[in-house]
Amino acid sequence: MANKIPVVEYSLCAACGVCVTACPFSCLELSKVGIDRYNKVYPVLASPGTCTGCGICAKACPVEVITMQVLAGVP
Amino acid sequence: MKAYTGKVLFVNLTTGDIHAETIPDEVYENYLSGVGLGAYILYQRIPAGADPLGPDNMLGFVSGLLTGTPSLVTGRWMAVFKSPITGGWGDANCGGTFSPAIKQCGYDAIFINGVSPTPVYLFVDSNTAVLKDATSVWDMDADAAEKILQQDNLNKKKPVVALIGPAGVKRSLISGIVNDGGRLAARSGGGAVMGSKNLKAVVLAGVKPIGCHDPAAMKTLSKELSQKMRKFNLPGFVKGGIFPLMGKMMGGMKRALPMDGAMAGILMKRWGTISNNTLGITSGDTPIKNWKGSVVDFNHSYYKHLNPEKILKVEKQKYHCYGCAIGCGGITDIASASSGEFTESHKVEYETCTTFGSLSMNKDLDSILYINELLNRAGMDTIAAGSTVAFALECYENGVITPAMADGLDLSWGNAQSIIALVKKMIARDGIGDVLADGVKTAAAKLGVTGQPYVVTAGGVEPGMHDSRFDPLLAIHFSVDPTPGRHTIGSAQYYDMIHLWEKVSWAPPSGAYLKADEYIPSDKLAVKSVALSCYKELVDGSGGCLFAMMLGVNHWKLFEWLNAATGWQKTPDEYMEIGKRIQTLRQMFTIKHNVDPMSYKISPRMAGVPPLTAGPNKGKTVPIEAMMKLHWKHFGWEEQTGEPTTATKTQLGLDTL
Ligand code: SF4
Ligand code: SF4
Ligand code: SF4
Repeated sequence: MANKIPVVEYSLCAACGVCVTACPFSCLELSKVGIDRYNKVYPVLASPGTCTGCGICAKACPVEVITMQVLAGVP
Repeated sequence: MKAYTGKVLFVNLTTGDIHAETIPDEVYENYLSGVGLGAYILYQRIPAGADPLGPDNMLGFVSGLLTGTPSLVTGRWMAVFKSPITGGWGDANCGGTFSPAIKQCGYDAIFINGVSPTPVYLFVDSNTAVLKDATSVWDMDADAAEKILQQDNLNKKKPVVALIGPAGVKRSLISGIVNDGGRLAARSGGGAVMGSKNLKAVVLAGVKPIGCHDPAAMKTLSKELSQKMRKFNLPGFVKGGIFPLMGKMMGGMKRALPMDGAMAGILMKRWGTISNNTLGITSGDTPIKNWKGSVVDFNHSYYKHLNPEKILKVEKQKYHCYGCAIGCGGITDIASASSGEFTESHKVEYETCTTFGSLSMNKDLDSILYINELLNRAGMDTIAAGSTVAFALECYENGVITPAMADGLDLSWGNAQSIIALVKKMIARDGIGDVLADGVKTAAAKLGVTGQPYVVTAGGVEPGMHDSRFDPLLAIHFSVDPTPGRHTIGSAQYYDMIHLWEKVSWAPPSGAYLKADEYIPSDKLAVKSVALSCYKELVDGSGGCLFAMMLGVNHWKLFEWLNAATGWQKTPDEYMEIGKRIQTLRQMFTIKHNVDPMSYKISPRMAGVPPLTAGPNKGKTVPIEAMMKLHWKHFGWEEQTGEPTTATKTQLGLDTL
């Protein structure tokens, strides 16, 4: 497991799915609902175990709402 | 870094040869990517007279120039090919997730010719491109086959698939290519081309990064749009029940005004295209009863069943194509509508609600939801299939199709159960279904009724579900686009929303004008249609979506994104010149293949000949031939024939191709 993982600021996320496609390991998936009244589906880190912390998803996000955050307890 | 890869993959299914070619920068500067790159390759590589269903036809899968860059609503792909319906240029546009997947393999496009001796699929990732055996999935529906192909090729990256269903396998001329569980590149007959090549699918699993010139500038533009989209809302108490009244008001308006495209964003975000279900019926935008009826026939007792709110009730969640901040799609629960046969489906579109609703006089919404999924799985174009059903219903009314010919089905208007049965027969090419499986033009020829008023097409293609008698600018695009009958190119409503005149020096300002003026051929109307055609080709070269285009140039900033992505620093006028080049090349393709552009003229009924006697379009006639000629003239094409002039070809650098 990586020492950093992507964290999405959902209030600013466009639910566009760019990050999901960008991840080379398909770690992210669109499955989080219940955030807005339209029932849009937002990305979640579904496979944290395979995430390398590479930050490709964060770089790809067109609206820069993914930050790579340090996981507590992981060196 | 550039926004394009500069590489294209070529696959010959006859010889098995697979190789990449480098495309010079000038090609992108002159044609963009997407449909432009497609036209550039196909014009030169498909020989004149090639059989659309033979080895010489070339099927291209093209991504957009902006796809994969940090722009928004630019993630669409297109299939490009010689159309087996018209014999001229063919293309089909689709969302889903396939467009970025092409670029992640390191290519802007994949072009496939030849015919494989046995069923195959093409697998491509960052390092390899191979043909694999598709025998076991060949006859499967698109949904089932997509899941198996994803599973079989699962490594690190979840593969993305574009494939044909049984309709394409059976070479139905109205079949399309499916992606992401039921999004279709539906039009022009691309599914039949793919089927004729014995190619079931293209499976992509590349992970290459996609670059661009100035990501920071692109993201600034994206944030601006995303922020606006968050604010494009109506209060919750406004429900779909207001649409019939809105439609009535719009239909009765004597003057047209420039509109803010934000309205399109609001409607698409909340309801999607179904927001036009009842609005279009009362305004006059929606064709009724195979184009011979009106809201007097498909009245409130019918259209109330198509209220978009009823569809939102079964919408479980929204669906966005890749890179989209609008999200007009949805995933709906259709367990009840399909009597348990299916669980869920992509939300039905307005077009499907109309061909299988008002066009067929059908008020049974459940039947439409069910048919939608049947056709998505079969990979059949719902516009063409529903239009063909409506044609068959009128043939039944006329006695052209007798009860015996209908295999015992009661094909009276609006008989939902018979319509479902007929669709199943069309998919299976069974009995009367085989007569209808290739669309209206072929069915009319088989029934010996070609040229009759109830054979409603543009150049043999079933038109999109917007009434050309309601919007003459749309009638022009139906008739002059190299893909006739296409409702996604231009209309007066689009023009008034896009505000091109604020960025393009020669696009006429809209201003308040009399609706009645639209029915009189004029230079101004022709220049508007030229501007829309050029702009749409830019959108299609970039991977943009029609619904983003409708937001207008001040919300969805295509020109600015293109400059930030490429560093070209071109003016909007220079970009429009690229659009003109692409459109002219598409037209040159059609002419090279010996198709007469005048043959794309809409059927008399669509032009109001004779005029309707009731409803908002009562008494309206569109002098379409004169309008086509004026459009051609202002495009720099021969006014009488629609053939691009030598001067225009030279000016656009197309004379040397
Ligand atoms: S950090 Fe890298 S591996 Fe992890 S989710 Fe983002 S792109 Fe995937
Ligand atoms: S790329 Fe950014 S805006 Fe798009 S879904 Fe991912 S986090 Fe949200
Ligand atoms: S607006 Fe709709 S069709 Fe267009 S890209 Fe977005 S989800 Fe797809």
